[in-house]
Amino acid sequence: MSTIQDFSGYTPTWCPGCGDWAIGAGIKNAFVQLGFDPSSLMVVFGIGCSGNMNDFLNAYAIHALHGRGLPNAIGAKIANHSMPVVAIVGDGDCYGEGGNHLIHACRGNHEITVIVHDNGVYGLTTGQVAPTAQKGFKSKSTPAGIIEIPVNPLTLTLSQGATFVAQSFAGEMKQVVEMIKLGMQHKGFSLVNILQPCVTFNKINTYQYYLKHIYKLGSEYQKDNLQLALQKAIEMSDEKFPLGVLYQVQRPTFTDQLPQLSQSPLVRQPRFTEIETLLGDFV
Amino acid sequence: MKFTWKIGGEAGFGILTSGVVFSKIANRNGYFTFDYIEYPSLIRGGHNALEVVASEEEVRALQKDIDFLVCLNQDTFKFHQHRLTPKSYVLYDSDEFTIQETNFIKIAIPFKKILSDLKGQLVMKNTIAIGASLSILGSDLIQLNKIIEEQFARKGQEVIDFNKKFAQLGFDYVKQNYTQHITSYLSPRKSDQKVVMTGNDAFALASVISDCRVYSAYPMTPSSTVLTTLAAWQKTTGMVVRHAEDEISVINTALGASFAGVRAAVGTSGGGFALMVESVSLAGIAEIPIVIFLSQRAGPATGMPTWTEQGDILFAVHAGHGEFPKMVFAPGDIEEMLELTAKAFNIAEIYQTPVIILSDMFLSESHKSVSQDFINKLAKNYKVDNGKVFKPNGLGSLQERYLRYKLTEDGISPRLIPGAKGHFYQANSYEHVEDGHTTEDAQARKQQVEKRNKKWDTYLSRDFEAPKTFGDLDSAEIVFVSWGSTKGPVLEAQKLLKQDGIATALIHFTHVYPMKTEDILPLFKDNKRYVLVENNSHSQFGKLLRMETGIDIKEKLLKYDGRPFWPEEIVNFINSTK
Repeated sequence: MSTIQDFSGYTPTWCPGCGDWAIGAGIKNAFVQLGFDPSSLMVVFGIGCSGNMNDFLNAYAIHALHGRGLPNAIGAKIANHSMPVVAIVGDGDCYGEGGNHLIHACRGNHEITVIVHDNGVYGLTTGQVAPTAQKGFKSKSTPAGIIEIPVNPLTLTLSQGATFVAQSFAGEMKQVVEMIKLGMQHKGFSLVNILQPCVTFNKINTYQYYLKHIYKLGSEYQKDNLQLALQKAIEMSDEKFPLGVLYQVQRPTFTDQLPQLSQSPLVRQPRFTEIETLLGDFV
Repeated sequence: MKFTWKIGGEAGFGILTSGVVFSKIANRNGYFTFDYIEYPSLIRGGHNALEVVASEEEVRALQKDIDFLVCLNQDTFKFHQHRLTPKSYVLYDSDEFTIQETNFIKIAIPFKKILSDLKGQLVMKNTIAIGASLSILGSDLIQLNKIIEEQFARKGQEVIDFNKKFAQLGFDYVKQNYTQHITSYLSPRKSDQKVVMTGNDAFALASVISDCRVYSAYPMTPSSTVLTTLAAWQKTTGMVVRHAEDEISVINTALGASFAGVRAAVGTSGGGFALMVESVSLAGIAEIPIVIFLSQRAGPATGMPTWTEQGDILFAVHAGHGEFPKMVFAPGDIEEMLELTAKAFNIAEIYQTPVIILSDMFLSESHKSVSQDFINKLAKNYKVDNGKVFKPNGLGSLQERYLRYKLTEDGISPRLIPGAKGHFYQANSYEHVEDGHTTEDAQARKQQVEKRNKKWDTYLSRDFEAPKTFGDLDSAEIVFVSWGSTKGPVLEAQKLLKQDGIATALIHFTHVYPMKTEDILPLFKDNKRYVLVENNSHSQFGKLLRMETGIDIKEKLLKYDGRPFWPEEIVNFINSTK
């Protein structure tokens, strides 16, 4: 059995009170509880305060380019689908710079767990707006308030074919662990959007703010109903943030549908050497 | 006897496929071929043409004169008439259009009538035309009939026989009406077993030979057929081919796969490569092997998608922000494409860095004869070289620490494939210390920069290959300098110049970046007439050569109209600028 200590790298450099602390601890707890050790999984980090977890979390990892973590994760999964693949990214990273990749990761049902730190700002570059910032949010890059309405990560992924969509809040540590575990246990693409305050640059979406606006989906909630999930997700625009698994269905994953991977992971297959069989096309 | 056969017609009616069928028949009949396609960036409408140069000897370029012009429409005649000679044959349908000119040999064949008599589809006009061509060239129909059988095997005997009929009628019409004009250009002869492939085919095949297991791409002319060929082969080869949402995803998919332990490659043209460039830099610092197939077309921006140019070599060489080692290879022909692609996969893995294979439309889409024996030997002798690999002793990270970016004499740190028990590491896009953790420490930064740079020194001493010379450098009065696909036209031009009594040599570069100065300087020691030949307007290779070696070639023959060089053009340049 692994321990939290096994997964712990450098001491985090996040600001005191930052939601990343809870998410970081939540991820490690989920890994331990699921029985993983640092050698048994691949993690891709984005760029941002969230991506800085690269030095604080032990695993086979890529610290990717800003926005490009998802295709790295997809490629790693294709090469070795026997290992779980997790992408730890931020809202600017995943919903801004890399938004296109998110859409297509959902469509393909690539079996990766995408954990998004959603705090509405770019902390690492000192507080400009993120795509999830609420309309009118004033920041250094939008001194008169942001003109655009926020990206809704839940409706976006639901409508693009994600088979697992969950939301959590950094102030609810136990729920964070639970959502990550469920996401990783899901066979297919999973999104865990984690709402979190940025104590340094976001004076609007504070712990108090979130505590006022979040609510938990009850045990009676039917998570295989897309209409219902969309209905709940749309309420985000009215500042009502559902926590829990909004949606989960089964659909064959990308790698499940590749016959060439049915016997063993690509990385462990014997080399193809019957070159002459290909020459027929050229005679 | 070398000759050019050219077929043209409206886009969308199988002209290009028919041209390739002709190349295959010529090869099966014992001849060498080289072909070239012309097509607009359209699916329907516009003019398509394909020309095949065939000979008993190896062919490497086009030639200006057309000996047999098959006109499936009037445009074909109009567009290519200027390349006819009194000895040329023009095959056309006099029911469809009339040709007033008489300064060549006219062979009128009732394509339309044959088609309507038998109620054939429009594409079968091509079959009649090939049957007629084979007749005039002194071939039989054996190979064409075999190809029809192969092509329609799944559709049954009736379809096969129906198609064969068109070939036979075209063939017989010429036999009966133009007996006196029948030649022996393509009469079957004995030769070694050959295949006919394009540069793209060669890259695809060599990537399979090299054990590439993930190929990721977004379609972009002229690189797209690598994607479609490898996709079609997946079931057989076991490779996974991903057509991703954009080129940024393409390269990052491949990098993720490579990190996880399989050989991976991507393919694109200039515009797609521009999108990949940030990730080329990621491969550089994170030290993830990747092979990038970059098939150039006439730019900038969307440019002329279906035409050729060598306009991206400086872009390729400088691609990626920051400093990191990368290698750029530019094959000059199909054989070199096979060899250098196979080499690129080893080099990428040994040096854990991006390797770019530069092609262009001319090399990517022209078919050339290749000895089947050459391919079989390459495949048989190819050794997958994984480079330095860390072998865990099983005691785990406490007893035996794995350092992903370990400082070494040759700059190469042993790799470890994720999943090995007891270990972990990160491939880091940030500067890092030896174990992969992020750093901003001055000393560690300096060490890692120097470590990465050393890989270049190691490459130059172990794996760089000096340019090949063709012809005798000592006795040559003129020395051509070129790189990549201009090789064929220059070699053919050298033959023509030799007939005129002019001794020439060619210094042809394939390992274009980085360069080992001390291997190159001796080739330029004499006071000769050096002529740089490039398919671009900035003489980009000339600049690169000067940057890398200090050699400055003053005399330049540059072509940038989207077309490849004619050997005759090179000859004229030499003769007119003595």
